Amino acid sequence: MFFDLIQNTLDGLAMGSSYALLAVGFTLIFGVLRRVNLSYGPAIMFGGYCATWVHLNFQAGLLALAIITIAGAVLAGAYVERLCFAPHRQGSAIAAMVASFALWMQFEEAVTLVMPSHVYDFPAMYDGPPFEFGSLTLRMEALVMLACAVAISYGLHRVLSGSRFGLAVRAVIDSPVAAQLAGIDVPRVLLQVFLLASSIGGLAGYLIVSTHTQITPMLGMWSTLKGLLAMMIGGLGSLPGAVAGGLVLGVLEAHSQWFLGPQSRDLLAFLLLFGLLAVRPYGLWRASSAEAEA
Amino acid sequence: MALLELKGVSRHFGGVRAVDGLDLAVEAGQIFGLIGPNGSGKSTTVNLITGLFALTSGSIAFDGRDFGALPTHLRLGRGVARSFQNIRLFGQLTVWQNLWVAQNSPADHAKRGFLSRWLGGQGDVREEISQLLEFSGLAHKQDELAANLAFGEQRRLELARALATRPKLVLLDEPAAGMNNEEIGLLRDRILKMRAQGITVLLVEHVMELVMDVTDRIAVLNFGQKIAEGTPSEIQADAAVRKAYLGGETA
Repeated sequence: MFFDLIQNTLDGLAMGSSYALLAVGFTLIFGVLRRVNLSYGPAIMFGGYCATWVHLNFQAGLLALAIITIAGAVLAGAYVERLCFAPHRQGSAIAAMVASFALWMQFEEAVTLVMPSHVYDFPAMYDGPPFEFGSLTLRMEALVMLACAVAISYGLHRVLSGSRFGLAVRAVIDSPVAAQLAGIDVPRVLLQVFLLASSIGGLAGYLIVSTHTQITPMLGMWSTLKGLLAMMIGGLGSLPGAVAGGLVLGVLEAHSQWFLGPQSRDLLAFLLLFGLLAVRPYGLWRASSAEAEA
Repeated sequence: MALLELKGVSRHFGGVRAVDGLDLAVEAGQIFGLIGPNGSGKSTTVNLITGLFALTSGSIAFDGRDFGALPTHLRLGRGVARSFQNIRLFGQLTVWQNLWVAQNSPADHAKRGFLSRWLGGQGDVREEISQLLEFSGLAHKQDELAANLAFGEQRRLELARALATRPKLVLLDEPAAGMNNEEIGLLRDRILKMRAQGITVLLVEHVMELVMDVTDRIAVLNFGQKIAEGTPSEIQADAAVRKAYLGGETA
């Protein structure tokens, strides 16, 4: 029982790190645009399918597949930004959100057109035995996920707190109008943030499909939901919140899957979100500046 | 030749002619005052010059080149900066970072070129920022978050941020609003110092003592049109201006 708790927490933290990465990407986009991008997950799914297609037709190494997944997600992300968000920047948030839903459908249709089977195998990152520490086990993927989440969070923190690009991003988050008048090319910053968020999402997507060792078109909806959920739990628009929200979600899912069975896993996650939003409408971490106006 | 030239500039909002056929010429090195009753189109004019509003008709030339269709950040690259009537700082950045962002804008990079930016390094950038902090009396607050500054300090930081973009022309939109007499005196000194450094100033202001004191030339707007232009003493003597301000009676 005690070891189960620890083992589940470890597994949950690992899966939670990939949720954290999804939520970080989501939060970046939400932070600068104040818009929910429903196509976030489907763009990641598109990247995953690009890699799957290459895997089926050519011999490609793991690193190549990871890069293709990320590149595909970035490409799809750029497409989403140009079509859904750039034209509606001053206009209604609903228009942008509905447009992003339309692109979601587009991505699903596109991949099922080229690759019609429901499920495709995806090569595992590592098929050796898991590491054992006493009676605890930890899989290689889990370690890679944790390491990626830590590295990306830290790197992003450094970029946002110190670099010219990072300060421009924070200036846009603070006040888009003032940012323009400080000479910042706001549309360009928005596109760059979109590409950055998509690449983080693409990395999360690769880690997830190579852990599941299979990919379905549902990955799109799944990624959007997990990212959105983790972002809401952590606190709308807060990056540390997104990381924490992802980890909380992962650990909670791992425990409920173990103790209550796989069926109740998602049910519990959504119950948690409802309960949390009722008590803390801004999530666990209140974002520092911006969500007051959102 | 004028540094900033507006010809027949109009901006209509629905049926409202916020600015209507405005001609304006600001010479380089001047402090030019733009005054008028509330709602006379002063702020709209500033927004048209910086590109936050699109022109309904007319043209704006800056430094001899047409300017009216450029996006805001590129106008800034040509050398036009502004401060806001309502303060718009980056609250979650420090004082120093607020200036650094403005100074390091892509528009500025375009101006200075890729090589000089890397070769020139950060040294002169830091030097300029400390000069600006000194100029605006904020040197001791450089690591404070902008959101935590007092009102007067935020106004000063806004002015410093405008100057950080190395402008030729600075538009000041009611910089004295909410200031006491002592602060207005310091503001006056800063505006005069800016002119001494070769920066042209377009001053939109309600505090008449300040406008009459520092400006070289004044234009008066009423209902979106220019009703008078001249030196401060000419404006003070102008009957149409008195009428606009005093509401019908010629005192």
